[in-house]
Amino acid sequence: MMAGSVTNAVAAARAVTARATGTPFLVRCGIGISGLLAMLVAWPVSLTGTQYFIPLTLLAVYPAVVPRGRGATLAAMVVVTGWLVDTAGYGASVELWRVLSIASLLYLGHTLTALAAVLPYDAVVNLEVVGGWLLRAAAVLLVSAVLTVVTLALSADLAGGAFLVATLLGILGAVGATVLIARLLRRA
Amino acid sequence: MVPPLPPEPEQFAGPAWVPTRALGRAVLLTGLLLLLGVALGRVDLVLLAAPFAIGAAASLRRMPRSAPELTIATGDEHIVEGGHVDASLTVTNPDVIAYDLVVVRTRTSPWLKLEHADRPFAISVPPDGWHAVDLPGDANRWGRQDVGPAAARVAACGGLLACRPVVVPARGVRVYPVTDPFKATEAMPAAAGLVGNHRSRRPGEGGELAGVRPFAPGDRLRRIDWRVSLRTRDLHVASTLSDRDAEVLLLLDVLGEVGRSGGVAGGASVLDTTVRAAAAIAEHYLQRGDRVSLLEYGATARRLRAATGRRQYLTVLEWLLDVRPDPVEGDDDYANVFGFHHVSSDALVMVLTPLVDPRSADMLAQLTRSGRYVVAVDTLPPDAAPGNRGQWTPLATRLWRMERENVLGRLREHGVPVVAWAGSGSLDLVLRDVARLASAPRGR
Repeated sequence: MMAGSVTNAVAAARAVTARATGTPFLVRCGIGISGLLAMLVAWPVSLTGTQYFIPLTLLAVYPAVVPRGRGATLAAMVVVTGWLVDTAGYGASVELWRVLSIASLLYLGHTLTALAAVLPYDAVVNLEVVGGWLLRAAAVLLVSAVLTVVTLALSADLAGGAFLVATLLGILGAVGATVLIARLLRRA
Repeated sequence: MVPPLPPEPEQFAGPAWVPTRALGRAVLLTGLLLLLGVALGRVDLVLLAAPFAIGAAASLRRMPRSAPELTIATGDEHIVEGGHVDASLTVTNPDVIAYDLVVVRTRTSPWLKLEHADRPFAISVPPDGWHAVDLPGDANRWGRQDVGPAAARVAACGGLLACRPVVVPARGVRVYPVTDPFKATEAMPAAAGLVGNHRSRRPGEGGELAGVRPFAPGDRLRRIDWRVSLRTRDLHVASTLSDRDAEVLLLLDVLGEVGRSGGVAGGASVLDTTVRAAAAIAEHYLQRGDRVSLLEYGATARRLRAATGRRQYLTVLEWLLDVRPDPVEGDDDYANVFGFHHVSSDALVMVLTPLVDPRSADMLAQLTRSGRYVVAVDTLPPDAAPGNRGQWTPLATRLWRMERENVLGRLREHGVPVVAWAGSGSLDLVLRDVARLASAPRGR
């Protein structure tokens, strides 16, 4: 019984591999790589290469295999947890390059998962679809990178005013999110 | 009193656009990171939320309002088996925002070999524009071959909103049977008796002079009018009116399908041979000015009434597209399948049959007994055999073949000529026999 189901699973996997096309595969590779890099940057360096990193790796790669599931949300939360553990637990300092990398990789993983969720693995893909998608993601990343640099510089200048900046930005973000949800509810 | 306004269809159709899991993820992560940032006083956590918030806001600043439109085009040209088909799927975007990703997929008939038709296509469509996916390919078998149903699923706003799938029904491509060249030089059995006092108005082989015209390729040499040709120093022929007015009834045995069809390039099943032979015979006799009618020997007994000319040829081709196995279940009574009153007594009846069902042989014998001029065309593929179910199958197949040969022999004894379809000239020999039979006194 068990052997039969394993054989069926192997046969199904072979059929999927035989039919898969290049572009959706590359998109899924992108999800896996960005997830893995985000884990590497977020979690403490001392954890890299140990057996504790194996579940993190699996968790990072899982959304690439099942982009329609909740794996991407879970992986992003684990990355944020790692960042909190490293900065609050291990006492690592908040460095600009790490914030920038984690934010960019998380968003890249998120948007590529959104693409892979609607893109069948065996599709004949017009390249302008992926090109346009990546261009929009790049524009968003550019704007948020500028915001990150400016904000971190500001908080460094204010020296201790980080709490104030966080509160202000947080309130602004919360207002934006509320407006967004209200618009969506009105449409529905 | 004000008449009530007609209800808008959107009010009942529910929202066509639904949020995706990506939107839920973006909102959740943004909210969670903002909350943590404010609670812990960490600006870096707020900054981690920034791309999600900016991306969602930028994507959702304008939302789609109308559903996409999908159309299937198949081209209207005359397609013969083995010919080229140009199908296409067109997605139209009536909205003011672009569709970031449209996944279009379609089903197709197994006899249409269209390029990549078994795969979904991922395209993007600009606002107020359209995008067509071409599906060139070949039609491998006669019949009404479907392209569709097709479905399109659209993702807009960076994948944060998705449309419910839009499905359109299939569109048929008419693929006409390829006709084996068929020529029968023998006279019609009942032609002489049908001429009567009325001359046909149709040009063709006959005795009544219609006029003199210049020689054209295909004219018979004995039709050359030498006197006119000498006078004008150009070859001229005397054209005549047809004095043939015979009816040919093609009776198609559709009680069952035998053999595996391999399309135009592969092996032919019974129905393939039946349809292609019927088209060839009908073309031949209609070109010669005869009237041709068609009748199915099956449960529904479809019928095409006798007529002549090119228009009838096109009607015959159209009629043949709908030929499919039409078995009569659990009824051994031949009379319930088929009525004699459909068959004109002067018609030449050409029965295209595999002679697998015993009722077909009975029908042939009865037709001959009732005094019709009958020719049976054997449409069974030479390599047809039942599937191997055990060690006795080859023996059983041999027995069945011997029994079938026996039936054919008995039919020949009854005066039913049975000939295997082999295209050009395959019926000449038997038609000569039928013509000779027809000259004998009728009735028994």
